[in-house]
Amino acid sequence: MLLLAALSDGPRHGYAVKEALREGSGGRFDLPTGTVYPALHRLEAAGLIAGSWSVVDGRRRRTYRLTAAGRRRLAADRAGWRDFAAAVTALLEGQPWPATS
Amino acid sequence: MAGHQLIDGYLGALARRLPADVVDELADGLTETYLRHVSSGLGRDAAAGAAVAEFGEPDEVVAAFVQHSPGRRVARALLCTGPPVGLCWGATLATSHAWSWPVPAAARLAFPLTLLAVVTALAVAATGSRSYRRTRIAAPAGLGLIALDTGVLAAVVLIAPPFVWPMALAIPASLTRITLTVRAMPALLSATGIRRPPAGR
Repeated sequence: MLLLAALSDGPRHGYAVKEALREGSGGRFDLPTGTVYPALHRLEAAGLIAGSWSVVDGRRRRTYRLTAAGRRRLAADRAGWRDFAAAVTALLEGQPWPATS
Repeated sequence: MAGHQLIDGYLGALARRLPADVVDELADGLTETYLRHVSSGLGRDAAAGAAVAEFGEPDEVVAAFVQHSPGRRVARALLCTGPPVGLCWGATLATSHAWSWPVPAAARLAFPLTLLAVVTALAVAATGSRSYRRTRIAAPAGLGLIALDTGVLAAVVLIAPPFVWPMALAIPASLTRITLTVRAMPALLSATGIRRPPAGR
């Protein structure tokens, strides 16, 4: 879900995805860069993202973008996470149980 | 490449174990990491060390790719089809007295030997955790499985034994497996080969 969210603002290459996760989480999600790439390949095999090659500064670069299926999955995951987080917050802080969407 | 010995050595270690496209992608990311550290004020050696540390150990990176490789995933799926499809065909062959079918002796010997080789290859591909090269055995194993399913279906069509009820399960099961295996083949075959590193790397 976090990798999909990192691509929601537009296409990024693997290192940029990793940096977006690190910066977006205030440094909490600082994954070993080398392990981000296999996860991107898995998402691509699942049809949630699509990769394309370009050449930048003489280097081959693979850039990923969300597919329509990836956008749908991200929207569903976001909604699920909001419900889950709201329920846990209600339990921990004694607030009224939130209405589910 | 970034032109630093440490980074080139790191990529060389990956190039011996991962497909060329994957290494090109990692080389771009590693170079970006290195350049970011250089631009932030680190010296070249310190920047290269920091970039390599940020990427993780080569064993860790290779293991992550192996875990998600199409060969490993497809091999596991095909192995799971073995017991149910085999049961269907076992029941079919037993109830239709397959031992009396006019099958050449060479085919009677070749079929179980091929089956044994295919199952062994799929098991090798499915259980690899550190070697991407090992997962690539799934491609020939998949082709072998297609040949086995096609062979047994051809035998039923050509010999035309009396219909027995397990055939109603076995024939669709093999046709389904052939279809699924053919659909998986592009992913298994499209992965580019592992690049042989130049001498001295």
